[in-house]
Amino acid sequence: MVWQQEDGFSYSDFFVRQKIILFCFALLFFILSIRLFYLQIIRGSSYEEISEQQRIYNTKEVAPRGLIYASDGSMIVENAFTYSLLFYPFDQAGMPTDETIVKLNKILKKDIKPYLEEGLKTGKIVKLADKLTTDEMFKVQENKMGLNGVTLLIEPVRVYNFPEENSHITGYLGEINKEELKALSGDGYVMGDYIGKGGVEQVYDTYLRGINGGRQLEVNAKGAQTQIFNYTQPVTGNSLYLTIDPKLQKLAYESLVNSASGRGSVVIIDVRTGAVKALVSAPGYNGNKINSEDFNVYLKDKNLPLYNRATQALYAPGSIFKIVVFAAAVESGFDINETVFCSGHFDFGDRRYACWYKPGHGRVNMMEAMAQSCNVYFYNLALKLGVDKIDEFSWRFHLSEQTGIDLPNEKKGFVPTPTWKKAKDKIPWLQGDTINFGIGQGALWVTPLQMAAMISAVANKGISYRPYIVSKAVSPNGNEIYTHSVRENEPVNLSSGTWDILHKALIETVEKGTARRAYFPNIKVAGKTGTAQNPQGDDHAWFVSFAPADNPEIAIAIIVENAGGGSANAVPIGRKIYEAYFSEGEYENSK
Amino acid sequence: MKKVSSLINNFFFNIDGLLFASLSLIILIGCFAIYSATGADSLYSRYISVQMAAIFIGLLMMLVLTNFNYKNFANLDKFIYGLSILLLVSVLIFGTTIKGTKGWFNLGIVFFQPVEIAKILYILVLSSFLSKMGSNVKKIKVVSFSFLILLSHLILIMMQPDFSSTLSYFPITIIMLFIAGVRFRYLLVIIIFGCIAAGVPLMMAFFKFHNIVVENSSLFIRVLFSLQDGITWLYMTIAFAVAIVIIWWFCKKLMLRAPMSYIIILALAILMGCIASGFVEKSIKDYQKKRLVVFLDPTIDQRGSGYNIVQSKITIGSGGFLGKGFKHGTQTHLGFLPEQHTDFIFSVIGEEGGWLVSQLTILLYFIFLWRALVIGRNAKDSFGSFAATGIVAMFGFYAFINIGMVMGIMPVTGVPLLFISYGGSSIISSFFAVGILCSINMRKHTNYKTA
Repeated sequence: MVWQQEDGFSYSDFFVRQKIILFCFALLFFILSIRLFYLQIIRGSSYEEISEQQRIYNTKEVAPRGLIYASDGSMIVENAFTYSLLFYPFDQAGMPTDETIVKLNKILKKDIKPYLEEGLKTGKIVKLADKLTTDEMFKVQENKMGLNGVTLLIEPVRVYNFPEENSHITGYLGEINKEELKALSGDGYVMGDYIGKGGVEQVYDTYLRGINGGRQLEVNAKGAQTQIFNYTQPVTGNSLYLTIDPKLQKLAYESLVNSASGRGSVVIIDVRTGAVKALVSAPGYNGNKINSEDFNVYLKDKNLPLYNRATQALYAPGSIFKIVVFAAAVESGFDINETVFCSGHFDFGDRRYACWYKPGHGRVNMMEAMAQSCNVYFYNLALKLGVDKIDEFSWRFHLSEQTGIDLPNEKKGFVPTPTWKKAKDKIPWLQGDTINFGIGQGALWVTPLQMAAMISAVANKGISYRPYIVSKAVSPNGNEIYTHSVRENEPVNLSSGTWDILHKALIETVEKGTARRAYFPNIKVAGKTGTAQNPQGDDHAWFVSFAPADNPEIAIAIIVENAGGGSANAVPIGRKIYEAYFSEGEYENSK
Repeated sequence: MKKVSSLINNFFFNIDGLLFASLSLIILIGCFAIYSATGADSLYSRYISVQMAAIFIGLLMMLVLTNFNYKNFANLDKFIYGLSILLLVSVLIFGTTIKGTKGWFNLGIVFFQPVEIAKILYILVLSSFLSKMGSNVKKIKVVSFSFLILLSHLILIMMQPDFSSTLSYFPITIIMLFIAGVRFRYLLVIIIFGCIAAGVPLMMAFFKFHNIVVENSSLFIRVLFSLQDGITWLYMTIAFAVAIVIIWWFCKKLMLRAPMSYIIILALAILMGCIASGFVEKSIKDYQKKRLVVFLDPTIDQRGSGYNIVQSKITIGSGGFLGKGFKHGTQTHLGFLPEQHTDFIFSVIGEEGGWLVSQLTILLYFIFLWRALVIGRNAKDSFGSFAATGIVAMFGFYAFINIGMVMGIMPVTGVPLLFISYGGSSIISSFFAVGILCSINMRKHTNYKTA
């Protein structure tokens, strides 16, 4: 009756085939289990990440950056705030009441109802009004009680006070670009962040920037927001205190702008610490105009206002390099009383090298040659010293070395050597090159900051400090989180006798030499002028100096581009700076 | 009243415990999943209440069927066949069109999809036919006749058109023919035929949507694409015929007894497959082809089914080991997961129940299939065995295709996950099938020792 018994063969065949079916299903369901295990256990966390990413949306509330103060406590950079009004359609159920809408319409002077309706329809945040005035903002704030789902969004805007004169110290803000993002990716920067470009805004960006806040929202598949998870208050960045003396900064900037070319640079260093009292590059730019059409004008300006001449421009030092040659000669034991006759030119081989003073200085010794900046004397000195000696002393004075100031993209300059020339031009270094080198011409390149650092080393008789511009960073709650510690450079190693003679020569230069315009009866100024020839145009006017000579406080390097002689064009600016500095009661030691 | 209680008693004393336990758990998991996926806040909410009503009706039907001797189905096979044809024809006439398919009866409150029940009737008819054939089943005319029955259903279903339902008929038929004892080589021929008929157009579709530059591709792809014009078919057929003659000649030389008929039948199967593939190619619409091959590369259809597949994988994967918790699935509740309460319901289980619950579901399904196969093994007669195995084939393939689909390893065919997906017709017809299983089990051959 039962088929298991009645037909043994066909049932046993069925039995085997059914086993095969069971095995097949076991295999298929095992495959499903493996796949499930792969998706949930092996790839689980990465899928979880994707599912979180597609449902969570962050709105950014930009944190205000820290403020920047000058040494007298005045604010150089601060923040202004713009206010916009947002509507979050999911904050509370439904729309604000009609009464509230009428009130808002009155304050904002437009009908916001369509915006609200759009928000409720799409479930997305709507900007009701942009760039509210403070007056409007306060009115909205006063009526805030009845405003369901309406929020004020505060956006900070950077404000640069006295923008042009401080432009190269402060820098400006710009959106982070790909390369910067790559380089800074470890520090929590993200696409769309604004970071400092140039100046302390760049170098101290990690101190200045705050921590952005914002709302974390949940969105559904259609992009509509369904709820807010949390709100993080933005945290303001740390403030910076600069060593800059705003009065000297302003004076220096204005002097340069009013000079013959309106282009140049002034660096003032406190020789006792390395603190930079002023660092000016003219012309400057206005950081408040960033992101506006006006800013593009700067990019096209032939005077290169965006370029920080103090740290990045390379000039021939001209006669101020005679300080190095003079020091080398004295240190090498040359007789300072030895005289040379200056006829206004110097013939060597088949070439004639001119002195700047066409009629000639007559018979001069080394001190007179320094004070009058006699080229002919220094041509002779250079030939006697030889290029290797001058190179060695240039390096002793830290030329072709970065000063290490806390500003970005500092250039290190260049000191030529015979090996370099051979490699570059395939011709050997000639005696004529040495003659030119002796008066600071040729392939010798320095920055104004480098010259200020050099003259401050001279002022301290070899001892100098790394120049700096930020003295401290202070957090919003008043903690000092960064303090500059003074760092001494490797001293310029010369015998004290040499220093004395060099100081004497530099004082004489001011008292009766080329820098007479910086002479004060009561303040002892020591300095050297320079007139750097340049193939592109008129000569650059240089003046480096320090005062008081017997107990130095500040050192100044001034260059005015294409202005002509240093004596007539750079020294008067130095004079104004000394007048301002010593009349302010900052003059501590001399009478 | 007494009669009803004896019905229930009969059911509980004769039911396979493991089968019923696994089924109950599957249904429970399904109810939780639908409750969550449809965002219900009480059992009276729309989808969950309809589903529970369907389950209730299904259970009643199961009870009745358990007490109904399944042998009557075999006696009534002609009537059942007629009924199934009547259902499929009448839906073409009176049916309602949903999403382009005329496959539903509008019963006022609910829609009923007759193809679900027709499928089970088909299993009964085929089982009856095969069991009546007895040892004649090895003859080729049995296979042919079975295919005629199959064809009558398929043609009617393709007229709706309901492509995914037709696909599910094939594994059921193959498995039933297999266990009935049909020669393996016939089945192999059928499988080769099916693979070529369906595989060639799909492969072509895949490469087409994949934007492959035909000129620079491998020989295989170039040949595949040249199949689109008829001449290549002719060349290939001639080449094939020549090959057969050469092989036959070699076999003869080597004194091997290779019946010519095998080779010819195989060749014909391939040829017929190739010809059929042309018809399949024309009958499937582009969007259907896309859905069928999209699991190979979701980027083919990023806004349509590719998006569904990607989101479904994210949904399941993000569940992790323990899941996000009941009603806490973000993918489900924020609308990232498509068709949450129907075809993609397993993803909801994966997201909210995690690996634990979803692996349990797969395991429960397997236990259910295993017990159903045991019922088939112990059935008193071959009709019962065949019918039970046919039902297992249906449940098994539906589950494999559906779960495979939501995990991105099977084509998107739109088959539901039986007992779990929302849908009154599929729930009721599933219980109908379980009722038959129970009826077979109740009348099993008790003396026979199970392995």
